[in-house]
Amino acid sequence: MSDQTTTTGRAVRRGSGRVYAALQVVLDRTEPAVEWLIRLCGWSAILFVFGIFFFVFREALPMLSGKLNLTEFFTSDQWRPTAEPQPHYGILVQLLGTLAVTGLSMLIAVPLGLGAAVYISEFSGGRVRETLKILIELLAAIPSVVWGFIGYMVLGPIIIRCTGAPVGVNLLNGSIILALMSVPIIVSVGEDALKAVPDSFREAALSLGASRWEIVYRVLFPAAKNGLLAAVLLGVGRAIGETMAVLMATGHSLKMPHSLLDPIRTLTATIAAELGEAVQGEAHYRVLFVIGLVLFVVTFIVNLTADLVVKGIRNERA
Amino acid sequence: MNELERKAAGPHYVLRWLPHDGGVSQDAYLSLAAAFAGIMQHEEACRQDGQAQPLPPWDITLQSPGCDAPNARPRYVYHVNARAAGGGGEGTEESPWWGLVTAVEQLTRLDRVGQIKLRAGQTVRLAHHEVFTTTSNERWKRVKENLARLVFLGTALALIVPMAAILIYLLVQAWPVLSFSFLVQNPRDYMTAGGVWAPLVGTFWLVWLSLLIAAPVGVLAGVYLNEYARNNWFTRIINLAVVNLAGVPSIVHALFGVGAFVMFAGMGRSLLAASCTLAVMTLPVIVTSTREALAAVPIAFREACWNLGASRWQTIRTIVLPNSISGILTGVILQVSRAAGETAPILFTGAVFFSTLPEHGVQAFFPYGLGDRCMALSMHLFTLSTQVRGATPGLQYGTAVVLIGLVLAVNSLSIGLRVYLRSRKKW
Repeated sequence: MSDQTTTTGRAVRRGSGRVYAALQVVLDRTEPAVEWLIRLCGWSAILFVFGIFFFVFREALPMLSGKLNLTEFFTSDQWRPTAEPQPHYGILVQLLGTLAVTGLSMLIAVPLGLGAAVYISEFSGGRVRETLKILIELLAAIPSVVWGFIGYMVLGPIIIRCTGAPVGVNLLNGSIILALMSVPIIVSVGEDALKAVPDSFREAALSLGASRWEIVYRVLFPAAKNGLLAAVLLGVGRAIGETMAVLMATGHSLKMPHSLLDPIRTLTATIAAELGEAVQGEAHYRVLFVIGLVLFVVTFIVNLTADLVVKGIRNERA
Repeated sequence: MNELERKAAGPHYVLRWLPHDGGVSQDAYLSLAAAFAGIMQHEEACRQDGQAQPLPPWDITLQSPGCDAPNARPRYVYHVNARAAGGGGEGTEESPWWGLVTAVEQLTRLDRVGQIKLRAGQTVRLAHHEVFTTTSNERWKRVKENLARLVFLGTALALIVPMAAILIYLLVQAWPVLSFSFLVQNPRDYMTAGGVWAPLVGTFWLVWLSLLIAAPVGVLAGVYLNEYARNNWFTRIINLAVVNLAGVPSIVHALFGVGAFVMFAGMGRSLLAASCTLAVMTLPVIVTSTREALAAVPIAFREACWNLGASRWQTIRTIVLPNSISGILTGVILQVSRAAGETAPILFTGAVFFSTLPEHGVQAFFPYGLGDRCMALSMHLFTLSTQVRGATPGLQYGTAVVLIGLVLAVNSLSIGLRVYLRSRKKW
């Protein structure tokens, strides 16, 4: 490989001689500056995460410091942000909506995702595996607004026809759409976790006469359980934070959900639907930022846990 | 022989087997032990006649005068590998006896200690069993394995088949409106007619701008993480930040964009603010893929370069980056596809419901200043399907198909690039 690089290098040098040499000198001279630039960019990720927290917190602060009754905020089901004279800010309905749609979508997505991960990693090989991986990757690429559109225009009418529900955009619809959206991440992380189990484990099991199913069930699941858990957690994180798809596919109704076919409203959808109408700097506007803060903290914790779980296995292995 | 007649009076044992020439042979004995010994006698007789030895199964049934028909299922089943030599085995399916001699010895012993007790109509079967044939245990194992394979295949297909069906459905629904003029016309009549030109151009500029911002920062961050960062707690925190940046909900990114770019930085709702928000959001894609691409360059390349006296930056510039440029490009392309599809982050930072653009001339391609608001394809789809009344359904499906086509095309480009480069990889 190194000879390829030297040949390209030489070709460039012959082609534009002095300019290239001068450029190299300049690049060498500026090395300290460049290294600092690289460091700065490396640290930028931290900067951005703090920035997100800071700016969302900054907008939410006036409400957090006393104006908003936090107990009422989390336990009241009255969301009347524009009511006069006394607006109510209770996000219980949205909280339950988010929980319900996330939980239900995980019920669908986890078996499908882990099953597909096992199939790709253990039961398929060669071209089939590559094709499946590419298809799953393409599945992940479909934008959330398109998923929402599919839920709204395609899945909704199907649900109405099959169940006789009055509206097609509801908890069930949102869960199916969310499940399909979070499956790709579960598949890819789960497959990585299975791949990370050393082949010596499989060989040992094979030499004891285990079948492939027994290897998966008795050897790989226990060995990769942390990675699989991380896959599920990342799926949960994705499902909680999803915005456009749930906004379009869940019906966006403020009633307490009682059945699978009730329309619901989620935290993310509330922000997306109301931020445009809220007057900048007013209480309603700031409460939406408080919701954003809640979402940020929740997804942060979920992602942190997933990361710690994965790091945990790495340390054990090492 | 009058023995049979004599036996007809009382209970007796019948030995049945299948000789090689077909049909059923049988013989009668007064005791179980005699029947077992009979097996050996038949063996011996066959050997002396020079015939092929009769392989089991051998059935020994106790018959009494009143009851002739044996029960369908044998009461005892023992297994023997009649071709094996020597002694050994346990007579079970997993571990058959070796050779008929062992089998007969063991059967006689079992009979002597009273482990074989037959009532009328019951049968002892000595089944033949090759050493390498499957046992029921293994057959069940294979059934389970095939079942598991089918179930897992089913889950994989359950993801892909409905998706393909939906995409085809969308394409069929959109077919009537899809044409070149659909792409290059502005939306008209309160967005109930026309094409997607303005949103398409808007998305194009949003993506380019966000790429211009995210690509340098992301690539350099990837370089830092793979080439400079030491293995310590600080690096772990950076990695954690990258993971979290990818996991923060898109609507929170939107809030960040509103708070930081639109208000704090004073950009207002503009193309620039929306692009910045998109850039922050898609940064992790570039960082992660750059880091992976750099990590794939063997450490020996760097060591060779250092040995020639090159500094770290010279090594990165001349060796590491040229050898990983393909992987980095893949990540950059993925960022493009991600940015093109996002809706929530641009909803409040710079996208506008409706604007008209010139359809011809240079102005059609450079319609926006950095401070202008623009339409975007993803937002246009959202607006069309939920806010606009009276739009022809074909218009919505058409927009969706254009958006999906754009994103999938960009993604396929990235995948194709990756596959091509992997096939060319020399190390």
